Amino acid sequence: MNILETIDVSKSYSSHKVLDKVSIKVKEGEIFGLLGPNGAGKTTLIRMINQITAPDEGEILFLGERLKRNDIQKIGYLPEERGLYRKMKVSEQAIYLAELKGLSNKEAKKRLEYWFDKFEIGDWWNKRVEELSKGMAQKIQFITTILHEPKLLIFDEPFSGFDPLNANLLKNEILNLRDKGATIIFSTHNMESVEEICDSIALINKSKKILEGNVNEIKEKFKHNVFEIIIPNQENVNSLLSEDCNIINSVVDKERLIMTLSITEGNNADLLSNILKHTNILSYKEILPSMNNIFIETIKNNE
Amino acid sequence: MNKIKIIIKREYLTRVNKKSFLVMTFLGPILICLLMFTPIFLENIETERLNILVVDQTLNVSDNDSTYLFKNQFKSSDKIKFDYLDDIVAAQSILKEGAVDGVLEIVKTNDTPPIKGFMYYGESEISSTTQSEIKNQLSNILKNNILRFDYGMAEKEIEWINNPTVDFYTKNIFSGEESYNEIKILLGGVSGFLIYFFVFLFGAQVMKSVSEEKMNRIVEILVSSVKPVELLFGKIIAVALVSLTQIALWIVLIIGIVGVAQTTFPEVFSMQVEQSITIEQRVITVDQINSVENSPVSNIIKGLSAINYPLVIGMFVFYFIMGYLLYASLFGAIGSLLDVDTDGSQFTLPVTIPLILAIICLPILMENPTSNIAFWLSIIPFTAPVAMMVRIPFGVPIWEICLSCGLMIIFIILCIMLAAKIYRTGILMYGKKISYSEVWKWIKYRN
Repeated sequence: MNILETIDVSKSYSSHKVLDKVSIKVKEGEIFGLLGPNGAGKTTLIRMINQITAPDEGEILFLGERLKRNDIQKIGYLPEERGLYRKMKVSEQAIYLAELKGLSNKEAKKRLEYWFDKFEIGDWWNKRVEELSKGMAQKIQFITTILHEPKLLIFDEPFSGFDPLNANLLKNEILNLRDKGATIIFSTHNMESVEEICDSIALINKSKKILEGNVNEIKEKFKHNVFEIIIPNQENVNSLLSEDCNIINSVVDKERLIMTLSITEGNNADLLSNILKHTNILSYKEILPSMNNIFIETIKNNE
Repeated sequence: MNKIKIIIKREYLTRVNKKSFLVMTFLGPILICLLMFTPIFLENIETERLNILVVDQTLNVSDNDSTYLFKNQFKSSDKIKFDYLDDIVAAQSILKEGAVDGVLEIVKTNDTPPIKGFMYYGESEISSTTQSEIKNQLSNILKNNILRFDYGMAEKEIEWINNPTVDFYTKNIFSGEESYNEIKILLGGVSGFLIYFFVFLFGAQVMKSVSEEKMNRIVEILVSSVKPVELLFGKIIAVALVSLTQIALWIVLIIGIVGVAQTTFPEVFSMQVEQSITIEQRVITVDQINSVENSPVSNIIKGLSAINYPLVIGMFVFYFIMGYLLYASLFGAIGSLLDVDTDGSQFTLPVTIPLILAIICLPILMENPTSNIAFWLSIIPFTAPVAMMVRIPFGVPIWEICLSCGLMIIFIILCIMLAAKIYRTGILMYGKKISYSEVWKWIKYRN
């Protein structure tokens, strides 16, 4: 079941087309990466899902139905540009934001207490935001995003501005939420930061979607039979290798030799047995292309 | 709708709980009361009664009768007591002894005017208000004498001429109406200025609050839960409620302070009661009129009580709300254009100029509330709240009020629509220099 689907969504500001017939599908319960360079149109698409702006053309479906005003209560959004009222008490602020998402005051308070316990930040309850450090404020922002237990969580550039400790905490909490059934959309230009946790991705470049699908399938599709092998260092390397295998890169690291090889498909066994006749194999693994490389390659192919 | 309520609640409570709100609430009425009471108290401090010795040298010898023009004609009051003596040298020596405060010698000459008064004073000079009062009485007595002797009028006729027994309210052009006019001018000026002041103060609060939310970067989180328009209007309504709360508290506190002052210093207020002239009274005695004219305080009270308060207050509240809505929505739109490092003056100026224009025109309006300029300024929505308030105490034709209100409402709707368009784009434009042409593009966006 798709929790979210955009169908040929377009948006222009004056003569500038920000989104051009973008269609994406987000399955319920997955982590979805909306990837692309800055200015590609990711934030505009996200703002449409949050009903901050409306598409000029196209449709957005939420749980199979046309997106309604009430659906915003089922969506949690942490924008790229995020902040809090500086003079307001942390607890009051979080409760206020939850009330705006449709929670009752009492319920909001109860849930907030749970999260304050969980993060062990009970003594912040009556503090003003201006008294908190940046990292502390980020935790509060995260809590306010998820307090109303949304079905769909959208994080725009989630790890920018987070220190590594908080980023890790955030990642774990997000995975927890996914395990509890929430669907997560990450939007980022920093593809390395999310590729290992995303189930599916969509690549957006210059207002157009250029690639979409399951991460493993995409990587499978874009792989070039490149392997990394590590063996004890020795001089006569070429005699070990078979003819259909090219050395892309080789590095000597103390006693070890690390080589990146491209091999014709299906010839792995021959190569490995040949090497094993002469020496040990310390490590052998396939190198899958990074999202960044896939992105660059896709752009090249499209041109 | 429910969300607007939540927004209003927060915006209202955070403002009302601010220290500055408390300070303003208590300081405002105290300042206003000080301004109101200072003249009254000053008036009261001067209650030391002056003794003036009148030496009338204008013995008028006619055919069979000899009279003084001025002797025994002065009216003593709380402030001045008049006594009479015929010998100027004796009077001067009494003055030197310090038994009286001044000697007024009245002589008849062959110049024009034929009557001259000389004021002798002892150690301290007679104050200018006392002087002008004596001068007034002098010319009044002279006038009465002219009427009596030159025109042969009886006492009763003179009294009638001085105090036409006409209805106090409708025919007041002939009575002591000059001072009432001053009070109307004052009232119009003050209420016009207050509207200007409140609209500016609270409009600017909306602007500040909008730009703060943008600079805090909380606004995108907010608009993912509520519509931008709801956010803007929640804020505008909340600030309006705060302002009305403040004004209401001021009125209550002022009434409280006046009440306390009234019970603490009853003598300051008591004399006004004695001198009050009721409408039912058809014939007003000379003494009553004179006592009213002689006492500026009771004059103010009389003048103030001659004003149609339900109309003035009703209009004040109406024009305050209208003016506030008009400017607050524009200020809100401007607030959305500001960012941490932008200079807002290029955007605030076009909005503040009409408001400042109205306040610059205030003296002209007060001088001539029925002029063409006054008419147009009270019709143009951007200046109407200030200009109309100046005109209201003087009476404005119903159709003009309707026209002005109608135009205001149309303009408010237009401004709100414009402001909402600018606002919803502006709040999400971070770190970008915004120009007028840019704003013009937003207005043309669909949404």
